[in-house]
Order: sequence, then structure tokens, then C-alpha cells
Amino acid sequence: MKKQLQITVNGELRQALVEPYYSLLDTLRDEMQLTGTKKGCDEGDCGACTVLLNGKPVCSCLVLAHAAHDAEVTTIEGVANGLELHPVQKAFVEHGGLQCGYCTPGIILSTVGFLESGEEPSEENIKHALGGNLCRCTGYTKVIESVLVAVKATNTASQAARE
Amino acid sequence: MAESEFSVIGKNSIRVDAMEKVTGRATYAGDVYLPGMLMCKIMTSTRSHAKIVSIDTTAAEALPGVRCVITGSDYPDVRFGSGALKDRRIMAREEVFYIGEPVAAIAADDEITALEAIGLIEIKYEDIKHVVDPLQAIYGSSVDVHSDLEDFEGFGFALGGNNCTMLDSDRGDVEQGFKDSDVIIEETYHTQPISQGFLEPMACVADVEANGRLDIYASTQGPYQVRSQLASVLEMSISNIKVTAMEMGGGFGAKLRLALEGFPAMLSIKTGKPVKLVCTREEAFTLNGPRLETNIYLKTGVTNDGKILAREARSVFDVGAYLGAGPNAGVGHGLGAYNIPNFKLRSYGVYTNKLYVGSYRASGVADMNFATESHTDVIAHKLGLDPMEFRIKNALSEGDTAVNGSTIPVNGLMETILAVKERMGLPKKMEEGRGVGIAVGEWRSGSGPSTASISVNEDGTVSLLTGSVDISGSDTSLAQIAAESLGLRLEQVVVAKRNTDMAPFTGPSGGSRIVYSQGRAVQNAAEDTKAKLMDLAADRLGVPADALECAGGSVYVQDNPPQSLDLGQLARMSLTSRGGPIIGTASLSSLPYAPVFNAQAAEVIVDRETGQVRVTRFVQAQDIGKAINPMGVEGQLEGGAVQGIGRALSEEILIDKETGKVRNPSLATYLMPLSVDMPDIENILVEVPSADGPFGARAVAESPGFGPPAAIANAIFDAVGVRIKTLPLSAERVLAAIQGRDADEYTVDAEALRAAESA
Repeated sequence: MKKQLQITVNGELRQALVEPYYSLLDTLRDEMQLTGTKKGCDEGDCGACTVLLNGKPVCSCLVLAHAAHDAEVTTIEGVANGLELHPVQKAFVEHGGLQCGYCTPGIILSTVGFLESGEEPSEENIKHALGGNLCRCTGYTKVIESVLVAVKATNTASQAARE
Repeated sequence: MAESEFSVIGKNSIRVDAMEKVTGRATYAGDVYLPGMLMCKIMTSTRSHAKIVSIDTTAAEALPGVRCVITGSDYPDVRFGSGALKDRRIMAREEVFYIGEPVAAIAADDEITALEAIGLIEIKYEDIKHVVDPLQAIYGSSVDVHSDLEDFEGFGFALGGNNCTMLDSDRGDVEQGFKDSDVIIEETYHTQPISQGFLEPMACVADVEANGRLDIYASTQGPYQVRSQLASVLEMSISNIKVTAMEMGGGFGAKLRLALEGFPAMLSIKTGKPVKLVCTREEAFTLNGPRLETNIYLKTGVTNDGKILAREARSVFDVGAYLGAGPNAGVGHGLGAYNIPNFKLRSYGVYTNKLYVGSYRASGVADMNFATESHTDVIAHKLGLDPMEFRIKNALSEGDTAVNGSTIPVNGLMETILAVKERMGLPKKMEEGRGVGIAVGEWRSGSGPSTASISVNEDGTVSLLTGSVDISGSDTSLAQIAAESLGLRLEQVVVAKRNTDMAPFTGPSGGSRIVYSQGRAVQNAAEDTKAKLMDLAADRLGVPADALECAGGSVYVQDNPPQSLDLGQLARMSLTSRGGPIIGTASLSSLPYAPVFNAQAAEVIVDRETGQVRVTRFVQAQDIGKAINPMGVEGQLEGGAVQGIGRALSEEILIDKETGKVRNPSLATYLMPLSVDMPDIENILVEVPSADGPFGARAVAESPGFGPPAAIANAIFDAVGVRIKTLPLSAERVLAAIQGRDADEYTVDAEALRAAESA
């Protein structure tokens, strides 16, 4: 039987009436019209559906919608600040970090989550942070390059903020 | 090289679709939600080969929420095909030919109800003998997959039985060539079934309009091909179908033609409502053709000093239940990039009771390349020659005759080989357990019908309309070509979103044809636009058109640049001019043969204890003619190489040997490369311009996937001295070879094929 739930999605409180078996992914796409989050496998293997759940990257296909009740979720639609791209988005645009674009929302959310985790953003750690995101087009080279550019941009920005 | 004479071409350009894609706004077929939309699910056969005795849909239809159930008899009794033969129905009628063949489809209020309804359909089957192994099926099999094969439209030359097509190509005297040879080497190579691995499972929304027209939102590389095939299976007129190619989440050949659009289309016609189909990942493996196994027999005669004299190749392509792409490669790519004076090439398509074969990034060529480029190394080692030098000695050069009969035009084959040789520092001997291997590939720039239309906007920008789908960044390259030709900046070209009603006909986005052929059409359309701009400006400025130049967004008098009109002014003037608004168009059907050569090298570490192979460095050079967008070209080369590395090391669709069923339809068990698996990839762009491509461009996308399997197999041989002739080069297989087991797993019985041919 459908039950009511509420989730703060991209800073907005959203409500939905969904079946208990509904995934967070299906709820975002079918009930909240947030179709930027992609379904590539629905089994937690491809990472295309990655969103931030309370700040941490998760496969939204593996999270039951009701398990996200009262949680904060960031989807790809909430990464940019209005029309101003997030440094990660900007880096992917400028450095060819995307092709067909289907894995891109998930990769960007994994990257944003990783950069906010405070882990050392070495190339090795970046590769592992994106180890759950399949991409069939790019061969990852320009994806990793884009993330490294975003790391630099973020460091410069935070350094500037400190000074 | 001198400072570029171009202002847009050859510059790293941001994709025109990048902003939409990083913000989640790009709309894919699965993102289309229409009011009142029903959800579609497909029921498939559970039998390898069987007569359908009865289908009972009563219980399914009675389930609340189910709006329509269709079976094969709801469709006109017509066959279509994705290869040369019309051998396939959209949905099984009296007989099923493999496990997974669609037998019914359901439209319901939601997916769960549709799935539940599938469980309520009762089908009675009567099993028929079936055959799964193509080497068993091709000759001497008592089982026919299609007993009415010879009645199929398009049936031509074949051995009969389950051999549905046989292609051949001969030159010189191959028997004499073998007699004159000092060394003859005969081998069989085997390649595995693999998936295209697109991230977006197939999806489609079909919406019948009030006037009966069908509106199709598809994930497709070929909207016009979907339109014509759909028209044929539904017996509708082409003009009553509109196909909108949505943003596409990877196709790689899998989405070139009619895929599954026929199911929601029929359900929409029956219900009068929009119907959506979104495949699961499992269905992405089982409902649309992957690549199936290939067995390739090669026999080559060489002189002791390393000149190849003769080649016999017999390539057996498993096509599953219905013929698809692949067999052409058996003749087109049976020689590799070498000049071989005497050859006899045969390629066979063989029916088996399994999922039909689909296209994938130059179907069959990567399989052939694994065989021919491994074989090339084997010969070189047998002769005691350096593999690179042996390749250089036999490489095709300008003026030679290609296997297709064309004369090889100017090309960059040697430059690519030498570039890789130099970058890798070859020849070199690496320490025990490490090795380096190379492979050379050949492809051609894709051609076919191409069109473009450009209109000049009143603000001085232009709108570019083509019918082609952007699967590789091609919209950006096409916009660059238009911008460069018209003297505009890239952002002054608007690329229209299009559908088959509004855009002119074009061939599908496949075979690396868009930048080469469609790009040529765009360049021609831009030239046409420019001529019209010049004519109008000449008229208004009162000077002859040949005194004018078009650059920097204006048309100006060459000798007096201030005397000018910008494109916006001209566009506004054109609205009331005699010629009317300015539109440039171009149309072409084919361009001359422009080969694409590449060379790739892999360094590997092989773990002798486990057989595990790790690629530590990958270098590739490709003659791309002219890089329109170097960043995009590199992206294609890197992506292609990584697909090739996956094909080489880990990817394999496991097919049950008894039933033909796919055993691993998931991304947890079908192992595609991840970021953690990949070496750094080094690209070298060789630019030997083609005669006809826009600004000299050649094709890019297909070739980088060819070489990795052979380059890695050759590197494994260099590292640990074992030759693996079967893909993938898995740890188990490498370990077995190191331990001296399982050297030749597959054999094509060439003698039997020769006998069958002369009988």
C-alpha cells in the first residue's frame, strides 16, 4: 500500500505517496520529475543513479524511498547554483569528461561526494572513488583529467576564501 | 606544423550538448513522460526452438490495470531483417527460434502490473531439435534452425543447411602462392560473444496521434531506419511515422535499426494511448542483438625473408537466430593492412538457436583483427623477424589494391606504425613477466546518404539542420565545420534538435560516417549558404560577388573591408529580397574510399602464478586525416581503446552450450572495465588529409577498438611465451597456457568447408 514520505531534495522539502517497494531512484524520476538521475541497471552495478544521501554518494536504485524519509538528497539538478555550474561540472564540460552523458550525472555526484569527504584527492583515490561508476564511452581518461582539474579549482577557491 | 590556418577547426571545442548533460537536463527516451502513458513489458520464449501450440492471454487481460495484450498474430505477417536477408518477424508467430524471443507484449497502467500479467500468460510449446554451436551447425548438422531459409527474401549464395550467407573474395593464384612459400602457417582463432555495453538500456515511447500517425521517441542511431522498418512491420506508410531520436546513452551499433519500438508502437495503436518501454539491464543483454562468437581459420604462406605470398581465410560468424552484421568483415578484413598478392577469403554466416547477432563498432572487424594481427605476430616469430619490421615490410601503400578492389589512396599507415614504434621505443626486450605487443588496424571512412541545411538568422547566427544523431560528439564537429566554412565562431552555430518530419533524410550514425560524410554535406551546405550571402551582398554593395570575402561574421569587399554587410544585416535584407530568406543545402550519397589506419601497442605484466594480465601502458596512433575537434577525437580513441581492452581481457557473454540461453545478463557478471582497471592511454593523432572529407578529415570512432585484443595477446606472448588464440585472455586461460594446457580450444574444419564449397 502506498505511504506518504518526505525528503529534502536539492534543498526543497518534497512529499510523495509511494509503495513501500519503491526505490529512491524511481521516486525521484517517476514521482518528483527529477529525471537527471539515470537508471542503467537498477542493481547497484553501474553507478548511473548515484545521488548524495545526507552528503554521501549512494546508488539510489538500492535505497528504498521510505528509507530516505526525512533525509537530505542531492541530485544532479541540485549540483549547480542556479545557472552557475559547480566546479566539477565546469571541469567536465571544459575537459571532455563526458560523451553520451548517461553516466555523467552519477559520476559528477560521486565526484562531488568524494571531494566533500576530505579524502586526499590523489589520482589513485579518485579512480577508486569512481570505481563504482561505469562509463562505456570515454575510457575514463578524460573523466579522471576533469576531476583533477576540479580538484585544483576547488583548492584554489578554498585557498582564496581562507586568504 | 605552421600556425593553423583555421580558426575553429582543429581547436579543442566544448561539446554543444555539454551543459545539458552535466546538469541533468538532457532528455533521453526514458525521460519522456506523457499524460496517460501506459507501461509496456515483453514476454519472451523459454524454449530454444519450438512450435507455439497455443497462447492463452485471458487471465492476463482480466488483471485489473492491464490495458492490452498482443502476440505475434496481432502483427501483419511480414518479415524484415537487419542483414541481407528478410528472415525475422517482430514477434514470434508459430515458432520460436531461441530463448528470449518476444512472444507477447503487455501495456498496463504501471510496470509492476505488466510484469504480473506476463506471469498469467500461458503458452504451450512443442519442442523442435535445436543447435547452439555454430561449428556444429555449419555443416553436417541434422538440425535446421530455419527450414525455409531458401525462401527468405534476399537469400543468395550459401552452402545451405544453417549457412545462411557465404561471402567470398579471391585474387591471384592462392595455390601457387602457397607452393612458392617457404613457410605455411595454419591456425584457428576464436572470439567470444560480447555486449555493446551501452549504459542506457533501450527505451521508447510510442504515441498514436488522433489522425493515426505514430509519434516515436526513440533511443536510436538511425531514426530513418527505425521509421522505414517500423513502417514495413506495421504495414504503415513511412510518412505516417515520426521518429524523434532522443539524447542517446550509448549505442555502439546496437541501436542502428529497429530495436524494440514495434512493441510500444502496436500497443499504442491498439489502446490509443502513449506507451512506454524501458528495458531492464537484463533485457539490454537479452532483447537486442549482442555480438556472438566467431571462429576464424587463417592459412598464410610466406618467404623466408618475410614476404607474405598467399592467404586463405575462412571465417565462421555465429549470427544466432537471424542474420546481422559481421560476415562482411570476414572478407573485407581477412588480410589486415597488408599487401598480399594471392588470396582466397571466405566468410560464413551461420544460424544457431540463440539470440540474433547485432552490430557493434565495426561489427566483426575487431574479431578479424584479433585473428589476423595475432597471426601476423606468430608468422614473424616463426621466421625470426621483428614483428614491427615484418609489418612494415608487408604494409599496404599508396597505389596498392585494397581487398575491396579500390586503389589505396594517400594515407598515414606508415606514419602511425612509426609513431607507435618511436613512442614505445620498439623493439625492446622487457624483464621477465613483462611484455609489449602491437597491432595494426584498417577501416574506411563511412559514407552513405548525407544531407544538411543551413539557414541564416536575423542576428547573424546560423541554424544547422541535419538528420543525423549525435552519438560521438559529431554535432559539435558539424557545427565547427559550418562555423569554419562561414567564418563564424562556434557559438554562432545553432544545432537544431530534429526528428524525421523536419530534418532531411540521412543514413544512420554508424560506421564512422558522420564527420566524414555528413560533415562533407555540412561543408557543402555552408558553401551554398556563403554563395547566396555573397550574391545578396554583391547586389546590395554594387560590386561583383568575386570581389567579396566572407569572414568574421561579415561579407566585405576584399580591397576595401570597411565596405561590408554583416550576416545579420544580410539575413534581414534577405527577408524582402528577390531570392528570399537565405538557406543553403547539400545532399550526397557517397564519397570515395578513404581508408583509416591505426597502430596500437600495449605493455603488460603477466602474473605467472595466477595468469592475471594487467595492461600498464597503452599507446595508439591513428590517421584521422584532420582532427576537427582534437579533444573529441582523443575521447573517441580512448573510449574505443578501453572497449577493446575489455574485449581483450574480461568481457564475455556466457551462453549455455545446451540451450543457448544467456547466463550472465548483468553488469556484476559481465565485466566491463572500470576506472581502476585502466592504464594511461597515450594518443598520437596522425593527420594525412583525405581527398574528400571536410578539411581532410577521416573517420575516427571504429578503429581504436580493433587492436587491443591482438596487441595484448602479442604482449602476453612477449612476456611469458604463450600464445592465446581464444578471447577473452582471461587469467584462467593464460594460466592454463602457462601450465601447458588447452592451447587450441577451437578448430575450424577448413577441409570440410573446402569440400562443401566444391560440392
